[in-house]
Amino acid sequence: MKILTGEEVEIVLFTLRMAALSTLVILAPAVLAAWGLARYRGPGKSVVETLLSLPLVLPPTAVGILLLELLARRRPLGEWLAARGIEVVFTWKAVLLATAVMSFPLLVRQARSAFEAVDPRLPALARTLGCGPWSAFFRVTLPLARRGVLAGTVLAFSRALGEFGATVLVAGNIPGRTRTLALAIFHESQVGRDDRALVLVGVTVVLAFAALWTAEWLDRRRARLLAA
Amino acid sequence: MIALDFACRLASFTLEVRARLVGPVTAVMGPSGAGKTSLLEAIAGLRRAQGRIAVGETVLHDDAGGVRLPPERRRVGYVPQDAGLFPHLTAGANVRFGARAERPRVDAAIEVLGIGGLLERRPHTLSGGEKQRVALARALATDPVLLLLDEPLAALDVGLRERIIPYLLRVREEWRVPMLYVTHNVGEALALAGEVLVLEAGRVRAQGPPADLLRVPALHTPDGLENLLRGRVTAVDEDGGVLRVEVEGGATVVSTWSPGRRVGDPVTLAVRAEDVLIAAETPRGLSARNVYEARVTSAERSGPDVLVRCALAPGPSSWLVRVTPAAADALSLRPGRPVWLAVKSHSVRCL
Repeated sequence: MKILTGEEVEIVLFTLRMAALSTLVILAPAVLAAWGLARYRGPGKSVVETLLSLPLVLPPTAVGILLLELLARRRPLGEWLAARGIEVVFTWKAVLLATAVMSFPLLVRQARSAFEAVDPRLPALARTLGCGPWSAFFRVTLPLARRGVLAGTVLAFSRALGEFGATVLVAGNIPGRTRTLALAIFHESQVGRDDRALVLVGVTVVLAFAALWTAEWLDRRRARLLAA
Repeated sequence: MIALDFACRLASFTLEVRARLVGPVTAVMGPSGAGKTSLLEAIAGLRRAQGRIAVGETVLHDDAGGVRLPPERRRVGYVPQDAGLFPHLTAGANVRFGARAERPRVDAAIEVLGIGGLLERRPHTLSGGEKQRVALARALATDPVLLLLDEPLAALDVGLRERIIPYLLRVREEWRVPMLYVTHNVGEALALAGEVLVLEAGRVRAQGPPADLLRVPALHTPDGLENLLRGRVTAVDEDGGVLRVEVEGGATVVSTWSPGRRVGDPVTLAVRAEDVLIAAETPRGLSARNVYEARVTSAERSGPDVLVRCALAPGPSSWLVRVTPAAADALSLRPGRPVWLAVKSHSVRCL
């Protein structure tokens, strides 16, 4: 007996692809934003920080509505996309957008505290040793903050795996097109197939566990390599 | 030659330095918080400054000429007080981090500093002295035009200091890179520097050869105000653990024995102003080995204390003594008052 039906396997793979892609898409901008926030000391810092963290505390459905509004054809962005024939709403791109927006602040927060923990004199010393600002970032700051950045990446990935509220509004819950695990669990439970919902819950637990455990393992391996 | 003419705003005062340093090693001295580290940071390009900074023919910073080289283009090697090694790299990777010098020169730096056996180690497994030597090699490997050393020996104990100084001397002799060397230690300045720059509250207080500066009767150090006494060793008693030194003015001062001193050697002794006792009458049965008849020449309030200047009876030398206002009152320490000064030989340091 197979645990998962063919359709469910598709859903799992789709969810994994979306979560991985969204993490990949936000990685560079989130790390840069975190670095900027950690270094910047000036007016407006707390405003920017609060704005960036907003999706963490807003109901995901509110974020979903805001995204829909942004993508509406009467808005400049929606108009611009429509003019180029790019459909976002109710497609996989909407899933990607919703998960990316929802997990971005998590990665930024984690990475920012990791960058803040790096002794600012070390990259400064790298400068005196001939590194430009970017080279000092990649050779000193980022390696020293890697644990926090890695932890943030895993958190963002896990958040993307489970995103529901924003996704359901922007991408709908279309089987075979935009239905992710979280949406499928909701759907199965709504139509009374609690046993299938439970199976899918089991899958999400395994995936989330695997993600967190991988991060832990990577971190330990690094620690061992460092100690060796 | 290093030409400095710049100002730099710090939290509590403005650092203003105008000096031409001929080196090759310049010791930067002065009390804590005088701006010594900020001076190095400004030269390295890590701190915003206004004015002009030039090393030899190379202008690093010149607001009038519109030159403001970023730190990576200054070729100034900077070794901070705690060495600042990159913790995620091995000692060897640290040394090669910014290596601009040719391979044999990098190898020579490793050899001169005696760190060949440490290259595979991680910084956290190195001792304080090893870290300093790795950091120095890392700076040398960039083929710098100037080395900035911020109290490289401050974190080390005395025995280790004496073992590192020869490495610094080798760097001075073999690399011929000019150095700015922040130190609180008069002995290090004497051993290494051709010139001393004294900073106080962001200003240059004095500049000149160390011997001249040490001619001043007292010097502010982190240990406090120190009396400096120049003289010659007249007797070495290793078993008794003491040295006898005849200081300028004729008085004999007994100091604790220090290795390698021979009769006839010139020495500079340091005695903290806090460590001198003042007695109103001839002290008797005291364990202190140094008791001198003197006369108060001045007594001035200095912060919470009173600084009393006393001229020794036999000669021109004068000592600064720090006492509490209550003690100054009780002994009525006013100019002209005859007093006796007493110092334990343990409070006399041989620099």
